[in-house]
Amino acid sequence: MTTTEPRPSIRTELLESRPVNLDGFVEEWPEKGLVAMESDFDPAPSIRVEDGRVVELDGRARADFDFMDTFIANHAIDVASAEASMAIPSAQIARMLIDPGVSRGEVLAVTRGLTPAKVLDVVKLMNVVEIMQGMQKMRARRTPANQGHSTSARDNPIQVAADAAEGALRGFAELETTLGVLRYAPLVAIALQVGAQVGRSGVLTQCALEEATELELGMRGITAYAETISIYGTESVFVDGDDTPWSKAFLASAYASRGIKMRFTSGTGSEVQMGNAEGKSMLYLEIRCILMAKGAGVQGLQNGSISCIGVPGAVPGGIRAVAAENLVASMVDLECASGNDQSFSHSSMRRTARLMPQLLPGTDFVCSGYSAVPNADNMFAGSNFDTEDYDDWNTIQRDLQVDGGLRHVREPEILQARNTAARALQALFAHLDLPAISDEEVEAATYADSSNDYPLRDVLADLKGAQSVMERGITGLDLVRGLETTGFHDVAQSLLNVLRQRVSGDLLQTSAVLTPDFTPLSAINDVNDYAGPGTGYRLAGERWEELKKLRHVTSATNPETEVG
Amino acid sequence: MQRGACHSGASLRGPTESEPALSASPPPELTTADYPLSINRPELLHTPSGKPITALTMDAVVSGELSAEDLRIAPETLQLQAQLADASGRPQLAANFRRAAEMTAIPDAEVLAMYNALRPRASTAAQLAELADRLERAYSAPVCAALVREAAEVYARRDLLARPTADVG
Repeated sequence: MTTTEPRPSIRTELLESRPVNLDGFVEEWPEKGLVAMESDFDPAPSIRVEDGRVVELDGRARADFDFMDTFIANHAIDVASAEASMAIPSAQIARMLIDPGVSRGEVLAVTRGLTPAKVLDVVKLMNVVEIMQGMQKMRARRTPANQGHSTSARDNPIQVAADAAEGALRGFAELETTLGVLRYAPLVAIALQVGAQVGRSGVLTQCALEEATELELGMRGITAYAETISIYGTESVFVDGDDTPWSKAFLASAYASRGIKMRFTSGTGSEVQMGNAEGKSMLYLEIRCILMAKGAGVQGLQNGSISCIGVPGAVPGGIRAVAAENLVASMVDLECASGNDQSFSHSSMRRTARLMPQLLPGTDFVCSGYSAVPNADNMFAGSNFDTEDYDDWNTIQRDLQVDGGLRHVREPEILQARNTAARALQALFAHLDLPAISDEEVEAATYADSSNDYPLRDVLADLKGAQSVMERGITGLDLVRGLETTGFHDVAQSLLNVLRQRVSGDLLQTSAVLTPDFTPLSAINDVNDYAGPGTGYRLAGERWEELKKLRHVTSATNPETEVG
Repeated sequence: MQRGACHSGASLRGPTESEPALSASPPPELTTADYPLSINRPELLHTPSGKPITALTMDAVVSGELSAEDLRIAPETLQLQAQLADASGRPQLAANFRRAAEMTAIPDAEVLAMYNALRPRASTAAQLAELADRLERAYSAPVCAALVREAAEVYARRDLLARPTADVG
């Protein structure tokens, strides 16, 4: 008889070494709000309307309202239909969401009168497949799209331009950047705008910054839209963020007053991460954000936990709650840029599974965004998907016949777009008397993967240049003029067409994007008309032919050769 | 289909110079079929300086004829987009566009200052009241003023007004 010390089995050792075990998981703690969507501390739904005014909301009388209750009661809830909508059993509303025989419009007629607790009560009944079925119908724009990040660990504008060009060519309808060193913002935002228009005309760009600076770049026409307008589900965290629903509503109108598209940002887990969830579930607080956004009259919302994904990702049912928050944004008729951005897992299986509730039904922007640079260069702290995943993404689209907004592009086209973007930026910088871009840098941009593949810039000179962009009052129009006079006519024309959109205001409507021929496509002229099998957006025709192409596809007639 | 009809309507008017940018005639009743205005109803779109949207050409950019002011949205256009938002069942979005229409008259720096004044504990009750009055009187912006007054009321109740500076003896 032998006695041995207890030791792990070989299998356990193997499982211990799997990437998923590097992820963090915690038990629920409802008292602190560390719970996805099922908490005894969330209020029960209720409403009372007197003289056209909400006087009780989810068990609280008006005198006791915090500012979120007040804003939602005053601006988000349709008082005319609220009592009737609230009287409909939650199970019936949940069924309406998944029933193809009930139109999107019929659902909206009910949801406009619901309180946060009632919305929670409805989506709590839905499993993840039902949430997807609801999303398929409730997404505002019929055609799904995707958004990418183009950033640089060195804030290198040439890299940002080249990766924006490649990203736009691969299919992103919107591109977003941000900075390591904030003072670099003007140069990087210009680079993003130029690169995007080289890759695909009509792509919209933004630069995520502090609220006031972001607005200023937008007003100057250096960026085309804005997204980093954060809102929170408790009054205390909202105030910690130095805003209120009224300041944010004012800001929303400020953007519209300059013809600039914008959406708010929120997400489950932000309140508990910022230390004051007031003992409510993550999804309940997020629904308050969604209704606040609705009340402010913004056209859309970026949600799906976003930079707090580690929090819902760590608790049971958290990723289901994230899918539910996207559905809620869509079911109250907001554009939804549905997360899948910040990295949340070491496990590729888990990263992919987290994507399915948005990719399969389609959302207005499946990612918000996908890292169109290697994650080491992603200044949003990395994304759930990056440039290394391009071929996997394209293959998943082809396998499941779903449109995630991207496509495979052949190498010569990519090299050409990257090179043109770098040359256009080189010419524009010279024209505007900004720090020179060398031919060596253009060559590097054409073939590079990451910021390590570029010659180092003179950072001090760049920062002086960036400052001069602001001081000299350079606007989008100066960029157009510079590109035109240096011979980049197509890029100049595309940029002018994007700027001209702000005069028409068409991009202010819900879920608007621009097609390559500058047709605004929004929830008004591209209404989601899903009504069951064979209806709504179908991946077919020319677009499906495009998505059948991958890097390596064997020819049917000659197995020795590849097509595509 | 709508598109053809609208274009013929525009061409009937012809290339005369007679139509002022900010026409005194009541705004047209739009339906969702008029969207996008940049394609279906370009004749309704003008810059705040009164140029038709079709004047925003590359030649005009290069010749220096256009300034950044020409790439702004006109309040009339925001009212048209508000009509479209209403017609597509989005009253809050329409209300946002109506506030925005009022704000087009406010210079960039002042818009930013007003936004900052609405941040928590940034303004006293009197300062917010003054801001609302200014919106109403200087900029004919009653909808924005109402939003500021509503904020002032809530901030007072929730202790979010600026605290008067303490006298340090």
